[in-house]
Amino acid sequence: MAEPILEARRLVKHYPLMRGVLFKKQVGAVKAVDGVDFTLDRGETLGIVGESGCGKSTVARMLVNLERPTSGAILYKGEDVTRLSGRALRAVRRNIQMVFQDPYTSLNPRMTVGDIIGEPFDIHPEVAPKGDRRRRVQELLDVVGLNPEYVNRYPHQFSGGQRQRIGIARGLALRPEIIVADEPVSALDVSVQAQVINLMERLQNEFDLSYVFIAHDLSIVRHISDRVGVMYLGRIVETGRDAEIYDHPTHPYTQALLSAVPVPDPEAREHRERIILHGDVPSPTNIPSGCRFRTRCWKARERCALEVPALAVPEAFRRATGPAAHPSACHFAEEKHVVPSEQPE
Amino acid sequence: MLLEVRDLHVEFRTRDGIARAVNGVTYRVDAGETLAVLGESGSGKSVTAQAVMGILDMPPGRITGGEILFQGRDLLKLKESERREVRGAGMAMIFQDALSSLNPVLTVGDQLGEMFVVHRGMSRKDARAKAVELMDRVRIPGAKERVRQYPHQFSGGMRQRIMIAMAMALEPALIIADEPTTALDVTVQAQVMDLLAELRREYRMGLILITHDLGVVADVADRIAVMYAGKIVESAPVHDIYKAPAHPYTRGLLDSVPRLDQKGQELYAIKGLPPNLLHIPSGCPFHPRCPMAQDVCRTDVPPLYEVDGERGSACHFWRECLDG
Amino acid sequence: MPDEPYEPERAIAGTGMGGQMDLAASEAVTLEKMPRGPDGTERPAGRPRSLWSDAWHDLRRNPVFILSGLVILFLVVISLWPSLIASGNPLQCDLAKAQEGSQAGHPFGFNGQGCDVYTRTVYGARTSVAVGVCATLGVAVLGSVLGGLAGFFGGVWDALLSRVTDVFFAIPVVLGGLVLLSVVTSNSIWPVIGFMVLLGWPQISRIARGSVITAKQNDYVQAARALGASNSRMLLRHIAPNAVAPVIVVATIALGTYIALEATLSYLGVGLKPPSVSWGIDISAASPYIRNAPHALLWPSGALALTVLAFIMLGDAVRDALDPKLR
Repeated sequence: MAEPILEARRLVKHYPLMRGVLFKKQVGAVKAVDGVDFTLDRGETLGIVGESGCGKSTVARMLVNLERPTSGAILYKGEDVTRLSGRALRAVRRNIQMVFQDPYTSLNPRMTVGDIIGEPFDIHPEVAPKGDRRRRVQELLDVVGLNPEYVNRYPHQFSGGQRQRIGIARGLALRPEIIVADEPVSALDVSVQAQVINLMERLQNEFDLSYVFIAHDLSIVRHISDRVGVMYLGRIVETGRDAEIYDHPTHPYTQALLSAVPVPDPEAREHRERIILHGDVPSPTNIPSGCRFRTRCWKARERCALEVPALAVPEAFRRATGPAAHPSACHFAEEKHVVPSEQPE
Repeated sequence: MLLEVRDLHVEFRTRDGIARAVNGVTYRVDAGETLAVLGESGSGKSVTAQAVMGILDMPPGRITGGEILFQGRDLLKLKESERREVRGAGMAMIFQDALSSLNPVLTVGDQLGEMFVVHRGMSRKDARAKAVELMDRVRIPGAKERVRQYPHQFSGGMRQRIMIAMAMALEPALIIADEPTTALDVTVQAQVMDLLAELRREYRMGLILITHDLGVVADVADRIAVMYAGKIVESAPVHDIYKAPAHPYTRGLLDSVPRLDQKGQELYAIKGLPPNLLHIPSGCPFHPRCPMAQDVCRTDVPPLYEVDGERGSACHFWRECLDG
Repeated sequence: MPDEPYEPERAIAGTGMGGQMDLAASEAVTLEKMPRGPDGTERPAGRPRSLWSDAWHDLRRNPVFILSGLVILFLVVISLWPSLIASGNPLQCDLAKAQEGSQAGHPFGFNGQGCDVYTRTVYGARTSVAVGVCATLGVAVLGSVLGGLAGFFGGVWDALLSRVTDVFFAIPVVLGGLVLLSVVTSNSIWPVIGFMVLLGWPQISRIARGSVITAKQNDYVQAARALGASNSRMLLRHIAPNAVAPVIVVATIALGTYIALEATLSYLGVGLKPPSVSWGIDISAASPYIRNAPHALLWPSGALALTVLAFIMLGDAVRDALDPKLR
């Protein structure tokens, strides 16, 4: 199981801020992603959570090569894909596919469903011989739970959930090994979300897929992920197996995030400790010195402004072997239970 | 009783036919109470609220029946000028998208102050002072300076606070919040919900919270009305509904949400799709998706059965549903 | 600006009051338009609909479209086969009949040179339609290619194109025509068309650029890019079909104005010149005799006005059909 299929190493994406009409000069940079490391093993799901503007979508776009990193490497089976171009890049692209957030804008309204799902075959003709494509498209529709007779319909004839299935079918067409899903269910209704998540889990087993699942909804990420990375302002601040993050968080940001999630259980509201963070996320053009979370952190001390905390198992837990011993980028990491642990009936 | 909606019907004329958005909705809100209206898109939850506020776009919308009693008066029988007085002073609304609800070319202070100029005939200067006071009340730091800023200079959470301040300005008896935190991040969402709850307690306002988020409902609501296909399918005090739902749709929703505190196996998924309002299924509108459906569900529209004094369920088999 | 791509499922929304109302309408009509089987299975409606069939569905019921369409159809037919309704020769004139009024066989009377006004008005349609159609085609092709490429690739070329279009917008059309066309001696319609294309393309290129920029931000273009699609594939398959609607609308309306411009230039003596037959020439020739023979001025002017109006109305109808949000 522990065979890394995709690795990000010190991944950075800065967008330069230009000023001037004729002679543009750089006056700063939006540090959307500012040094992200992770590994994705074959067949597992890595969840990346964070609030809007934390850079999680930029990470997704870099992974599927829609955006070139400013620096850092993305290793696919040990090979740095950021340096590839031409045919080699196309071959890698085949193996890393993306599912988009908005099922309404991610399908071309002028193309039939058959053309949309068949387009990957047009671009990579080596995957399926021409005569075989229609059958393949219908098979894909069937796989994602849609009627194969829908090939001639247009996207607007489908509901959001069905459209997302079409988007997933397009992602599956080339039989990729990795799927990067950027908020794939956040635009869907609650009852439809569950359908799509179940579909994604079923497909993962069926096709031996590895997922990078990016979302802001912590409950969904816990449900689908094997490992979780929590992002804040362009960096992963805490990472570990799902139980380590959710039941034994050590980074104050993770704790605040988890405590803020409303739990669908009215009994919990009286005896739940809520950590309400003050202020807003700082601008990614002007990231605080030292620990980037310190401006909103209730534990912040002088050291936090001076020293950047590394994403490693904190000193306090280095000897321990329990679930609290996982990488957390905090100088003062301590375990805290914030999710009410209700025993399932 | 503050607000009572009785058997409200709203339809929309579209190119493809008549969409029956609201089909006989009945609910009530008392002063100081929070009613959560829970539903998915197309359930009619927002349309009902817009009909109550009197901001429904007509045409294509049309109210085809029912009463909206607010502090004893039927709003649907009022003249537009009287209606306008009720809006703002009697009830106010908070929208999901604070950025598009604020005018980008006016300062925040002007927009907050306008309420006082229009409704209370205050001078510009007094209105400005009131605006600062309001911004303080919704805990916007540095209100004195920021009153001169434009909406785009505020973060999403701050903008939603401004919307709340605007809704609170004339101290209305009822606030309708339509997905007030859906566009916000979790940590900011918590701040805004806390603020709303605090203000509601302080001023003893009624609050109608329209949302699709079962977590938010559990956190703040006193009572819930669950809507499906333009109807209320279940209404109950919040604790009862989460403990034992009396309608299979509510049960399905509760089971389909992934939990933060459990890893869980496969999620329960309600089969099929939310209803198409142009072709609402016969009988019980939920029957095509319902695991408990019998023949009677296809033919007979279930009334809102009384489960006990405070609960109602529009399911022929609510007893069986309650027992699980 | 009809720059936004048309989105069929949001078509029923978007009247008045901005965001809030859109929510109401789109919630009222779930985004699927399909009846469901009694068992709740997913089953889309029978008729697949694209933008064009949706637009056609709207157009067919629009009286403005039907009226202007009929006028234009009639114009096209008589400019292809003028002899269908006019048996005479527009160049056969009899000075003896100059300025005479309506009479049997000559319903519109005679002009200052004694030519039959009816025949000349019918034949004049050919020039107007030919100039209008050719100029519009040229403008649309040049403008959308340049604007589309600039919008897609951006950067230096885009900046350059923007400045160039600014320069062109600064040229007054009639004055430019007087200066440029007065040096042309040829008496064919091509110099006039060439001039119109030269001055007209910046307008279309701006529209095309804007709508390409809007279309290229859509996720489906990103999805194609992530699949490894080439630039030409993204442009032709994904962007162009979603960006073309506003270009069509503006081009239709422009067609009417080009016909009017041809008449203006001919009137001023720099467009077509006799012995060509053109409404502009006839208007110019008849205007000194407006007191004695108003009919000679009235008929070609009326035909011109009707034609221009028909194209502008058609453009309006097409815009309504392609982008209901503007209604």
